[in-house]
Amino acid sequence: MRLPHLFPVAILALAAPLLCRSAAADDPPARTDRFTYRVTGLFSPEREKDLRAAFAELPGLSLVAIDFEFAEITVAFVPAKAFPGAKPQQVVEQFDQKLRSVTHHTFGVKPRSTVPREKLERVVIPTAVLDCKACCLAAYEAVAALDGVVQATASFKEGRVTALIDPTKTDRAKLEEALRKKGVQVGKP
Amino acid sequence: MASLFLPSLIPAMKSFPRIVACFTAFVLSTVAQAGPPAKFFETHCHQCHDANSKKGGLDLTALPFSPADPDNLARWVKVHDRIATGEMPPRKQARPEAAEVAATTRWLHDELVAAERKANASDGRTRLRRLTRAEYENTVRDLFDLPGLLLQTDLPADGSVYGFDKNSDALDLSHVNLLKYLEAADRILDMAIATRPRPPKPIQQRISLANPHGFVAHVLLHGDGVLLKDKKPDPDFPPAGAHEHLDQGAHERMGSFHNGASVGLFRHEDESFHPYFNEFVAIYPGRYRLTTSLWSFQWDKGKVLPSRGTEAARLSIVQLVGDGRGGGHPSTVLGYYDAPSINEQKHEVVTWLNPRETIGFNAASLVSGHTRGPKRAMGFTGPGIACDFLDVEGPLHDVWPPVGHRRLFGDLPIQPFLTKDHPGVRPPPRSPDRQQLFMGKNKSDPIEGIWTVTTEKPLEDAARLLAEFLPRAFRRPVRAEVRKHYVERVAERLQAGDCFEVAMRWAYRAALTSPDFLYHIEPAGELDDHALACRLSYFLWNSMPDDKLTALAVDGTLRKPDVLRGEVERLLADPRSNRFVEDFLGQWLKLRQIAANDPDNKLYPEFSAYLQDSMLAESRAYFRKLVDANLPVETLVKSDFAMLNGKLAAHYGIPGVSGSQIRCVPLPPGSSRGGFLTQAAILKVTANGTTTSPVPRGAFVLDRLLGQPPAPPPPNIPAVEPDVRGATTIREQLQKHRADPSCASCHAKIDPPGFALEEFDVIGGHRTRYRSLGTGDPAPRGNIDPFTGIGFKLGPKVDPSGVLPDGRTFTGFTEFQAFLASNPRVLFTNLARQFAVYSTGRGQSFADRDEIDTVVSASLKNGGIRTLIHELVQSPLFRTR
Repeated sequence: MRLPHLFPVAILALAAPLLCRSAAADDPPARTDRFTYRVTGLFSPEREKDLRAAFAELPGLSLVAIDFEFAEITVAFVPAKAFPGAKPQQVVEQFDQKLRSVTHHTFGVKPRSTVPREKLERVVIPTAVLDCKACCLAAYEAVAALDGVVQATASFKEGRVTALIDPTKTDRAKLEEALRKKGVQVGKP
Repeated sequence: MASLFLPSLIPAMKSFPRIVACFTAFVLSTVAQAGPPAKFFETHCHQCHDANSKKGGLDLTALPFSPADPDNLARWVKVHDRIATGEMPPRKQARPEAAEVAATTRWLHDELVAAERKANASDGRTRLRRLTRAEYENTVRDLFDLPGLLLQTDLPADGSVYGFDKNSDALDLSHVNLLKYLEAADRILDMAIATRPRPPKPIQQRISLANPHGFVAHVLLHGDGVLLKDKKPDPDFPPAGAHEHLDQGAHERMGSFHNGASVGLFRHEDESFHPYFNEFVAIYPGRYRLTTSLWSFQWDKGKVLPSRGTEAARLSIVQLVGDGRGGGHPSTVLGYYDAPSINEQKHEVVTWLNPRETIGFNAASLVSGHTRGPKRAMGFTGPGIACDFLDVEGPLHDVWPPVGHRRLFGDLPIQPFLTKDHPGVRPPPRSPDRQQLFMGKNKSDPIEGIWTVTTEKPLEDAARLLAEFLPRAFRRPVRAEVRKHYVERVAERLQAGDCFEVAMRWAYRAALTSPDFLYHIEPAGELDDHALACRLSYFLWNSMPDDKLTALAVDGTLRKPDVLRGEVERLLADPRSNRFVEDFLGQWLKLRQIAANDPDNKLYPEFSAYLQDSMLAESRAYFRKLVDANLPVETLVKSDFAMLNGKLAAHYGIPGVSGSQIRCVPLPPGSSRGGFLTQAAILKVTANGTTTSPVPRGAFVLDRLLGQPPAPPPPNIPAVEPDVRGATTIREQLQKHRADPSCASCHAKIDPPGFALEEFDVIGGHRTRYRSLGTGDPAPRGNIDPFTGIGFKLGPKVDPSGVLPDGRTFTGFTEFQAFLASNPRVLFTNLARQFAVYSTGRGQSFADRDEIDTVVSASLKNGGIRTLIHELVQSPLFRTR
């Protein structure tokens, strides 16, 4: 919702296999398809374990791959079984709700970013906060919520927050401001 | 109130000329009679108390003798007492012969007693009185087996006459009372009537003190507490140090507060911090089993070490109001529980909970958190209390339907109410079973449909049920025509389309708001068996008689002395007698006023809610000990033991006591403690929170312990205000005050006990110097907790010496205490009078004095304070209205 210009593209990307499938409605076994989404809440490599545990509670949805660097996941499912009755454009929304519900709103999914990867810029912000998983989530969410942030990490053990940003939409100063507002002590680069 | 007195005053006013004539004749005839006092008065009194002198406002030449008039009787009683005690004639005047005094006081005594007995012959001495708020609540609790039902606070406050709320003059009845009784009756019936065929399924819930809506999660983020696992800091939630935790919501979602960690706190409850276990909020009333696990530790900048000793935590029942958010909701203390060093201790308690109630927690023995430095918990060294969890199980029902329902509907079946089966009958109203507060995670156990008691023979069953209920509720047999009236009410409601439950509810509501329920109904003269049972149970349980006491009343054996003695023993052994201890002490020693003021936190920084609750517990346990062990009456003022817990022992400077539970502790030689007057509760209720004054304390001793209440202060005399700057002592101020002759005579009696008690400060600490916020010397820490900041100084020295009115001198409280203890008859007489006023609901009349004297003599001869209770209960004073 925060990326309205990406939305039609995402819907098309999601809807294509479904449309194909409905055209072949007579095929007896429903085919499992693979879909790639942006995942939110994946702020550190250790969170991959939590994400896999969450998928164990989501019947019909299989986590195939995690791309931590770009915060993307590939998921396999039969749309008609996993999201019965959902229109193609509703699938991502319902998927997001399911994932949020089993993870107490610490993970979610969004459509993939349409910004070419080479145009993304990585920003590293030194920080000083408690080495606490929930504090990392809080710092991560402060950054990830900004328009133009594609992926972010937070590790207070290493003392930094990183973000992969679309420089046309946001910049380092906005990230630092968001972190300060959350109570994170921001250091010099 | 005036209207009550008018009928008795009007005849007196009409007969005034006749009385004057009689009195004149009496005075004139005294010379010729055997002992009339006219000559005595002329010789010894009229010089100061005639129309010209009228000293003290008294003109005895114009005072008629008409004791039928209560005011007149009171004046003559005063005259009698002044002569009998030798106070009058004054010492500087010629002394009358002892025989003269005896004859005069005997004549007055006989005439006054005769007049009182004549006045009381028809109506009795105790006037019709309603139940006090406490009696009402206890009666309802016992009648319906609803032991935690809260009703008192919704009723208008009772007054107080002769020091207690049990007198009819203190128990007026207004439209507000009636409205509140109606509302209370509905609440009682809502709670008692079962509306389902089976009990709600008991929940079993484990709650972390760090539950999100209970305040603690918030302070954990900032370092006034820590999460602990295996007695070490929780690695998933490191203690706040140079940085505090971010965003409580993120921690809640990540499960930081639900990972099985224990919660360690460094601060106690205060106005901005109210730890609640409110992930559980009771939906169904009933008994719940609460289990908690507590331990204590020494926190040293991130390390968990053994604690300084056993700490104490408080659990309370919190009545959540409104939407339940925030803190400061009304609460009642459930108890204080030990938290031993490192090794956790489990505490289990079964308690009643009402809907919307939850459990509160207070790390009570901690003085304050000091973690607000730049390094927060990682820079803090000090004591902490850890709570592993609170387990809640309930509601627990041994029987279904519950006892309260059975009292109303017996064993009638509870069945579905189907409209088609009851054409033209309105179903009973029902509220949905649901969790009313958003923070409560425990869910309801709803049932489908409407369930209600059913009967094939409604009027027959109504008559049967009411025949059982009404005598129990009214505490005596109920005449058939009265029962019939209630059954007719049920018939009317059935006719009007109410179902059986609702129709019966009308009758029960009427019964619970009727004078038969709300008033003590006692016959004039000697009490009948049921009235005697009630007087006994309202004395020692502050509630209605139980089945056994009622059975003894029914078979007429209760009045037998040995049976009555056995019942006194049984009632005192029952836990319900704690109500007597609390209610009686609350009024006799004014313990109800314990929280009337908070001590100045600069002068008395060591004061805490835990100390205050310990004070109350001490005085109650001490009284219980006196009664249980039948200790001599001198123990009221002097003893070689005290009832202490760790907190009080530290406050009193007595070593070797730890833990929250009160126990009997021998006092070390030379201790200034022992007896009620040295107890912190008494010393606090007689002070104003900032300073002490010998005047209110002296008046307390005279009134409450010696039974010699001083006269009220004359008008337009300003109170003596102690000087907290430390420039002058209260003694110096009082010396100026006593220079006024109109003040001197009373203060000669009031001040000595007050001076002796100057050894004790506002919160009952022993002192040799006054605390000061102005000038003074630096104060040593003494018994004050090392984590309490000290901002006061030591001002002038305390001088606890004094001179009694009879010339005896004392240098301090211990010597004064010995004087008090040397006169057991005075102490016994006063206690007997207090018991009598409390148990009979009337003030002590002149005629009662002889009976009190008899009771006291027997008690002095045979034993102690328990004996006094027995002797009083056996006496005509107790057994007549």
